Amino acid sequence: MNRIQNFKNGLIKDNPVFSLFLGICSTLAITTSINNAIGMGVSVIIVLTMSNVIISMIRKITPDEIRIPVYIVIIATLVTIIQMLIQAFAPALNESLGVFIPLIVVNCIILGRAESFASKNGVFDSALDGIGMGCGYTLAVLAMSVIREVLSTGGILITNPFNTAQVILDLTLFPEDFTISLFGSPVGAFITFACLAAAVGAYKTHLDSKEKAKEK
Amino acid sequence: MKKILHLTLFLAIVSVLAGGALAFFNEITEPVIAKNNEKQEQESLLEMYPDADPSTFEAIDISDLDSTTINKVYQYNDLYIFNMSVPGYKDGTTFLVSINSSDLTIDKFIAISNGDTSGLGTQVLEDPFKESLEGNLADGELDTISGATVSSQPVVDGIHEAAEKISQLK
Repeated sequence: MNRIQNFKNGLIKDNPVFSLFLGICSTLAITTSINNAIGMGVSVIIVLTMSNVIISMIRKITPDEIRIPVYIVIIATLVTIIQMLIQAFAPALNESLGVFIPLIVVNCIILGRAESFASKNGVFDSALDGIGMGCGYTLAVLAMSVIREVLSTGGILITNPFNTAQVILDLTLFPEDFTISLFGSPVGAFITFACLAAAVGAYKTHLDSKEKAKEK
Repeated sequence: MKKILHLTLFLAIVSVLAGGALAFFNEITEPVIAKNNEKQEQESLLEMYPDADPSTFEAIDISDLDSTTINKVYQYNDLYIFNMSVPGYKDGTTFLVSINSSDLTIDKFIAISNGDTSGLGTQVLEDPFKESLEGNLADGELDTISGATVSSQPVVDGIHEAAEKISQLK
């Protein structure tokens, strides 16, 4: 029960982006299209889960004084491996995500979870936490990118990341004359982010007041 | 003393393991990445000459050309195709230009990317500029774009340089 709760918390209540405000930089930058969001989300889930597992595995033999450098080496290695794989097998994705793939190394979600969860909990729990938090991040970037892409292009376009010529979904919701190009720019990213963070905040307050009412 | 040794050794072992993992994955992905890049390059050449057989583009060794702007040179029949990156207002322009080796006329010009001001510098990507270059002599007078001189002049200079280097390539 507790484990499921942990996993679920990462999705909305303790969402790393909208609630813990971690890793916002990449969130603002790459959410211009749904393709990017999916690619980035999957990369973060993989890196986060694997780093959590490895760090949890070596938590008992890691000397406390050098734990941060050790974590950084592990995370950087994983990110570089992911980057090489993306470069080799999904070059189009590599081009559109650009510098934000190597920057996953300094994404605070990953070091944050390593330090606050994986270094204190077992391998299985850490893996679950990694998947939960990774899904939370993915959910956040997906929500932002759907809003931004629909408003700035008037539709949704998803292509196969391994072959950009292959279109998986091409939806036009309203004509191009009514699009708001502002949402494709950084300003739009901040507006979208603020609205979603406010919504998650309101939901959290609602949950808290419900709990308090129960206690009474 | 023992403590320091322990810490150093631990970090060293972690780093060696990390290095090993990276080397292993590099081994797997490196040939695929090289192949991808080669394919991408050929695609841009094919955009220039859609009917050509990709194997007829012959890459030329430019190690003794001594140029900072020429990235690559290909030979295609009696044409030399230059892949060049020239500076501009901000990020500059990367383009392909094919020059006839006998009379130095510009056969085709394709601007691949330009990182300058949108609407001004980026005019080097548009058709009027391309059309103003094609068919003219690569070592003769070429038009720049008024209002975007900082972006278009280096392109023209680059083409002049390419024309100059052709004598060395022959």
